[in-house]
Amino acid sequence: VRVVIAEDLALLRDGLTRLLRDNGFDVVAAVADGDALVTSVLLERPQVAIVDIRLPPTFRDEGVRAALTLRERAPETGVLIVSQYVEHAYASELLADGRGGLGYLLKDRIMDVDDFVGAVQRVGDGGTALDAEVVAQLLSRRRADSPLDALSPRELEVLGLMAEGRSNGAIASRLVLTVGAVEKHVASILGKLHLPPSSEDHRRVLAVLAYLRDSA
Amino acid sequence: LSGATAAGIIRSVIGKLRTLVFLLAAVLVGPVALAVLIAGWVVVPVVAITPLVIPALVGFRYAVGGLARMDGGIANGLLGTSLTPPLRSPGRRGFWRSGLNVLSDGAFWRQQAYLVLRLTVGFAVAVAEFSLLASSLGVLMLPIWYRWSDTGSSPFPRLGAWHVDTLGRALIGIPVGIIGLAIGLLVLGPLAAGSRRLVGALLTGVEAGREPTLRQRRASLEAHAATYAVVTLALTLIWALTGHGYFWPEWTLIVLGLPLAVHALAELAVERVPPARRALAVHAAAAFSASVFFTLIWAVTSRGYFWPVWPILGLALSVAVHAIMEFGRRGRRITELEETRAGALEQQETELERIERDLHDGAQARLVALGMSLGMAEQKLATDPVAAQELLAEARRGTHEALDELRTLARGIRPPVLADRGLAAAIAALGDRTPLQVSVAVAVPRRPPRAIETAAYFVAAEALANAGKHAHATRVDIAVRESVGRLVVEIVDDGVGGADASGNGLRGLARRVEAFDGAFEVASPDGGPTTIRAVLPCAS
Repeated sequence: VRVVIAEDLALLRDGLTRLLRDNGFDVVAAVADGDALVTSVLLERPQVAIVDIRLPPTFRDEGVRAALTLRERAPETGVLIVSQYVEHAYASELLADGRGGLGYLLKDRIMDVDDFVGAVQRVGDGGTALDAEVVAQLLSRRRADSPLDALSPRELEVLGLMAEGRSNGAIASRLVLTVGAVEKHVASILGKLHLPPSSEDHRRVLAVLAYLRDSA
Repeated sequence: LSGATAAGIIRSVIGKLRTLVFLLAAVLVGPVALAVLIAGWVVVPVVAITPLVIPALVGFRYAVGGLARMDGGIANGLLGTSLTPPLRSPGRRGFWRSGLNVLSDGAFWRQQAYLVLRLTVGFAVAVAEFSLLASSLGVLMLPIWYRWSDTGSSPFPRLGAWHVDTLGRALIGIPVGIIGLAIGLLVLGPLAAGSRRLVGALLTGVEAGREPTLRQRRASLEAHAATYAVVTLALTLIWALTGHGYFWPEWTLIVLGLPLAVHALAELAVERVPPARRALAVHAAAAFSASVFFTLIWAVTSRGYFWPVWPILGLALSVAVHAIMEFGRRGRRITELEETRAGALEQQETELERIERDLHDGAQARLVALGMSLGMAEQKLATDPVAAQELLAEARRGTHEALDELRTLARGIRPPVLADRGLAAAIAALGDRTPLQVSVAVAVPRRPPRAIETAAYFVAAEALANAGKHAHATRVDIAVRESVGRLVVEIVDDGVGGADASGNGLRGLARRVEAFDGAFEVASPDGGPTTIRAVLPCAS
């Protein structure tokens, strides 16, 4: 899988490059700002661009803006945002187009190497990877009479993991359940939220995310 | 002529006619307004010491409001404004209260000011403009009618010093009439703009709205000066056409000159004098203009005994008293500033101490523990790989926790989303992070200065934290709005109340807000609810 990295701190840029190369990714470019990111993505056409939010020159939300540019000009490239902070506002902006191939994770998650590598892979394949903290914010925003209240605690747990972008298999191993049990939970959740049943992981996740965004 | 230009010309002519009709309406509205105002100003003081003053005030308010609404309707129809001047004064009900409401209602006073202007300046402008147009039209037609005119001793009309007794002389009336008509029509544009601004400023319902910009104020001064010039010119023309003799327009020149001089000097004061000394400067300017006014009146009348010395002495005395009060006020202000500055510095010191302690007890300690785990893992790697792996996993968990703490700490200093996305997003994010039900309403058209934004954010953050920790609230409403150069932050919870305004957190917030010259209030009766309100100045 071909990857481009945009991170202004050399220490983290080099560490991330090494970590990805060790795990079999092909890091074709590692740049330090948003403009260089857009240029190298348009040139290299990688499957994934990993982008820090705070980049020169203003160290505010350059990464988010560069990511939105990439979504438009290089739609086949998945974008994985990594940041010291996760903010609901950025997540909404990034998810607004309702397409997959998108991730937004805390930098801390890089330390859970296997999980992180899985997320990069998933974003490259057109899936999603949302940080548990973003999902928690999305779930906490529900209205007083939300249909989410009808979900059992276990179903809420499954819904959260689903919103993070995980597959049924991953959810099953995380919650120590059988895949069959997870599938039953998923069917029940989709039913309670009046969402169409779908066997395809990515599409189902996008439907759930759109639902959570609209009900907030 | 293409159809489009013809249509444009017709539209512009209709616009000018509408303006003229609006101006002429002053001739009808003016006397009614005069009657209402005189009735109110006489009746209310006369019954002032009896309870009857309340119905008198309320009735007067309705009459003024009704008249303002009628004239507002005329303006809406003819000038294209959209005004509904209020009839009643807002505020709590109650017999005595309703009188106070009327007196403290800015809209009521503005409506009266408007009516006074309409019946004086408006009336004068209407008469002057109408005379200018009508006499210009008459002069323009001079070649047609001069020979049939029969006025008094001379069989011919006069144009200035001339008796118009030949066609040659009558033809001169054509250019004179055209120039007069052109001036009369050209000033209609500025007069319409000025009227629109005047009704917009004085007849709107909202309290003062936002402050006028430099350009608007300059334009209003220009409109005022233009009106003065037109009135003067028209009267001088009338004086010239009606034979010379005593130059009576000097009275209008002087009387209308006084408000113009006060206006111009006040504008100068607003532009040149810092806000703290502005009131005094305007007062001095008005006193100076009035002194010149009295001196001029003395100069154009008998010129005997210099009586203006008395009003001038009185005005000088009032300015002196104002100046003394002003300096006393400034002394108190300096004390207040010294106090709030000391409070702000103290607050800053407390804050730095807290950050230092958090770093020392939190992230630093965690990094030490992390180093120890890694050191031990290194030792055990060769001999006991299972224990080493355990230690490494522990180190990773420790790193997570350290990062978490640093994030919380950084957010407490200045949350990144506040800088990037402004108050609405930052306060909404606060709501996301608490288990409380939080409703957020932010109505701030432009972003306030950074420091003000940060202060407003921390008021909301601290109040929200208190609501959860101490008040045991379940619901919190946060409202942020901008009005008249102030940012108002209001947080209401449904908790148990009894918040201690002198406690650490709220005291710190008060100091933070006071450092910006803002106001901070806590209302928290036992049993709730708690309302926290901060008002921060945010002039752009």
